[in-house]
Amino acid sequence: MLTEIQEGKTLNPVVKHITQEKINLYAEASGDFNPIHIDESFAAKTPFGGTIAHGMLNLAYVSEMMTSAFGQNWLSGGKLRAKFKESARPGDTMTINGKIDCVEQKDDVSYANCSFECRNQKGEAIVAGEVIVKLSSGKR
Amino acid sequence: MQGNAVNYEELIPGYEFPPASYELSASLVSKYLQAVDGAGDGFVPPLAITACVIAAMSGSFSLPPGTIAIHASQELEFFKLVPIGATIECHTRVAQKITRGKMSMLILELEIFDQGNEKVQSGKTTIALPT
Repeated sequence: MLTEIQEGKTLNPVVKHITQEKINLYAEASGDFNPIHIDESFAAKTPFGGTIAHGMLNLAYVSEMMTSAFGQNWLSGGKLRAKFKESARPGDTMTINGKIDCVEQKDDVSYANCSFECRNQKGEAIVAGEVIVKLSSGKR
Repeated sequence: MQGNAVNYEELIPGYEFPPASYELSASLVSKYLQAVDGAGDGFVPPLAITACVIAAMSGSFSLPPGTIAIHASQELEFFKLVPIGATIECHTRVAQKITRGKMSMLILELEIFDQGNEKVQSGKTTIALPT
């Protein structure tokens, strides 16, 4: 967990390697068997040219970074807005970065406003978004 | 797709899907944690709940032939954690349906409650359907 919550603070990045095996596992766990994720011959014939990871798999990595930074405050008081800009593919290495943009005080409660992005090994933005975490009352 | 899937054309703003219940079993959570390289803490990861609900929701309507559904954006708000083994109920409605050129977008709002009828999370899912 972060010991200091202050503007400009960067969050510990998360790095994950995407494999078809992980995508298949995620399909099984979530029940999302969209062939674009798991059927290589089907996906090859689409404009994507191959299978792509579930967008929610990338968000799981974002959540891991937020949990590591904010713990329970994120898990039961977090708010997220994400745009899936490009697709992550098997073989990609995703790096999830985030930082605290500002800390706001509203009605005696502090909120950490953060931004995040997930980029692949080529530096392409795959997912980007914002997160708001409700902190403990008066904490800054 | 489920046998009683609603046609995509029937999904108009305000349409409400029948409430759906899900049991968040230990095996489901274990599979999820394995897939995301996560560590367990006795609670269901909030994103595991969202993932299951979105997958089930996406399977409850049929797409026009030859269409691929792509997850375009996601909004979420977490209110409380639920323990492994809990049952949740999801309420989903169509917020918007937009067609721009060859792209159709379906925006769904979801609210998830625990067995005590307390809100667990809410969210907004945008699904893009390139035609």
